[in-house]
Amino acid sequence: MSKKSRKLIRSGVPAAEPAAEAVEVATEPVAKRTFFFLPDAEPVDVDERDLHDLMKQWRHGRATRTIGQVISDSYVTLFSVVLVGAMITSTVLNAQHGATACTTASCNSGRLLLPTAMIFAGYALAIGLSRLFGPVLASAAEGSWLMDAPISRRRLLAGRLVIPVVVGVLVPLLATGLVAALSGMDWRSVAAWALASGLGAAAMVAMSAAEQTREREVLLKGLQLVWTLLALATGVAVIAVAVAWIPAPSLSTEANLRMSLFAVSAVWLLVLVVLLAAALRRLNLIRRARLLSGGSLVAGMQGAMFALDMGLIRDILVERRAIEKGHVRPTKGRGLGPSALVWRDVERLFRSPGTFVPLVLSLLVPYAIDALRMSQLNPLISGLALTAALVPFLGSLRVLSRTGGLARMLPFKTTQIRTAAMVVPGILAVLWAMMTVPAFVGFTDTGADRTAWSGLMAAAITAAAGVFGAVRWVTAGKADYSAPMMATASGALPPALIFNLFRGIDMVALITAPLILGADPLWSVGLAVVVFIGLRGTFNLDELRAEQEAMQRDAARAKTERNDRIKIAPPKR
Amino acid sequence: MARKTPVLKIAGLRKAFGPVVIVDGFNLEVAAGEAVALTGRNGAGKSTVLRCLIGADRPDDGTIEVNGVRASETNPVIRRDVATVIDDLDFFPDLSVVEHLDLLARAHGIPDPDAAVDEVLHEVQLVPQSGQLPGTLSSGQRRRLALATAFVRPRTLLVLDEPEQRLDVEGVAWLAERLVAERERGLAIVMATHDPVLTEKVATRVVRLGDRGRVDEGGSE
Repeated sequence: MSKKSRKLIRSGVPAAEPAAEAVEVATEPVAKRTFFFLPDAEPVDVDERDLHDLMKQWRHGRATRTIGQVISDSYVTLFSVVLVGAMITSTVLNAQHGATACTTASCNSGRLLLPTAMIFAGYALAIGLSRLFGPVLASAAEGSWLMDAPISRRRLLAGRLVIPVVVGVLVPLLATGLVAALSGMDWRSVAAWALASGLGAAAMVAMSAAEQTREREVLLKGLQLVWTLLALATGVAVIAVAVAWIPAPSLSTEANLRMSLFAVSAVWLLVLVVLLAAALRRLNLIRRARLLSGGSLVAGMQGAMFALDMGLIRDILVERRAIEKGHVRPTKGRGLGPSALVWRDVERLFRSPGTFVPLVLSLLVPYAIDALRMSQLNPLISGLALTAALVPFLGSLRVLSRTGGLARMLPFKTTQIRTAAMVVPGILAVLWAMMTVPAFVGFTDTGADRTAWSGLMAAAITAAAGVFGAVRWVTAGKADYSAPMMATASGALPPALIFNLFRGIDMVALITAPLILGADPLWSVGLAVVVFIGLRGTFNLDELRAEQEAMQRDAARAKTERNDRIKIAPPKR
Repeated sequence: MARKTPVLKIAGLRKAFGPVVIVDGFNLEVAAGEAVALTGRNGAGKSTVLRCLIGADRPDDGTIEVNGVRASETNPVIRRDVATVIDDLDFFPDLSVVEHLDLLARAHGIPDPDAAVDEVLHEVQLVPQSGQLPGTLSSGQRRRLALATAFVRPRTLLVLDEPEQRLDVEGVAWLAERLVAERERGLAIVMATHDPVLTEKVATRVVRLGDRGRVDEGGSE
């Protein structure tokens, strides 16, 4: 920083005590401006090596950690990886030992169907994430500085394509391999399942890249739907076999299955190579806007991840989906006052029927939990599933909670806004409870054993926990960095940063705790009522704080006025 | 002649961010049918005054009353009376332009919301974009939508922070005419602006904020 700049900054620092109100018109001082122009001389040649050295020097100047600290951190990371790896290996070996001994229909079907479901889910996820991010992307800086330059975009972007393909191979490969290993297969079978999963998912990424160069999505959307339906059908089949609704699939010999999987892997490898070559050949043709949209999405989501703000991540995705959609057929609202908000939420149900998919799937959860003989934990797990399924139905509450701008335009109290926003999800939760009563009563011989009334109570309490968990999650505020911080091993953190991670989960756990611990369900009902009163903003902390501060200011002003009064001494007698 | 009852009354407003005092001892009264333009250089405190006024920022000291009610962002009476167009306006990502206006008109209990929405939509020239989602609008169209949200609902005080921003020349001229009409119908207006056209045509009073909360008040009427 130059001396001149420092002097300018010093002169700009405000005085400690600002001037009070002055009503006379001040004359504006006319600043004499000087402008800087480049000297009239030809620029000298610049050596790229010198530039590189200069950048190196800058980076040295910005180092915040010594090499010793870096080695120390690496040691901790390495130690953690080894420890966790050893734990996973031990778990796999134990599971294999136990699983190979199990020859029941459930075990056999699980051994075949779970890795199959993982494979289909991996393929669907690979296409979904590729479509979301690109898969080829570039940052805004690269878009500004490099895309305009007379260079080959293919050379620049080839590396960008290789990274998602490699990730597309590794992540499904490891995940499916782990599931296969846990289900008690031998290592050659585990390798066969893992390869089929990894190479197939990578082929999906390569196909997405090839389609990205042509700006087409129809094929990808169709394939994604097929893989998703297959994954869901396989997952449902696992439950159906477990509760003996359908017979266990006949498993051919493991060697035959292994050979089939290796054959599938070989086909996927071939598809991967062909599609990757096709995508690489056409990389030059991807539009800059298409590349940058993925880059900006990654940047936004990185920022939200650093702030541990899961709500913001969802907001970014919702906003992006809306931009892609762009246009809707407007519908006329109904009702006046707060009911207009409720009717708009009803309209949303028809506009986004896709939001019902997770809700319908969440209906299966209590039945699956009961079938898996975990009925004691059913309220907690099903409540969390319902929370996740109901979040998309609370879009209006999310927008009205995250900034004050929109809520300020509505002539309602906070309680009115929140209550109106809870109506539609509340009705959906009631329907959910009615449809899951058999799961809470116990629909298998080995499941829960409740009376119809207590089953109904358990279903209703779980539904209430699900709604309130979702409401709590969507009303999460931003972390306040000006508030007192919490000391952690990672340094000072605002408490909201940590507590936001547990928002929603805390309400579900609180409301369902008496049910899980075997206490009277009325305790859960009481807790649900208290949570509802709190969530609808009856005790709005901001409002209370504002009122308290105003009262303190008034009291302070009154005290000052009392002190300023001229005291007249009483007449002496 | 007796002075009109003020719609807005600000007394002794003080707001500081850390050691930097933005506004101190700021007083302002705005009656019905008056339009006050807050002017001044960047950083003079115009937006801070407006944010305190609508309750988006909490003042360190001073009182702000709208129609005799202490201003608070969460007070439904204030929300009913004060229409604002400042930069923190958010939109529902899944509702179209016309649906936003329809929702606002209905929420405020306008008897014939369809007619009100149609008129405002024509006026801000967003009829072709009525089915568009806000994320796809240009910045100028978003500003027009924000202004439309203020005009489609009842109000006694209109608070605008640089409303000319991102509007084209024709748009600024329309806005000036509209604000004059609003003022003549008895609406109180407070706006921060750098636009000489708006200041000259709309403002009945100009309050120039100087450095460090110093108020230099002049008039254009």
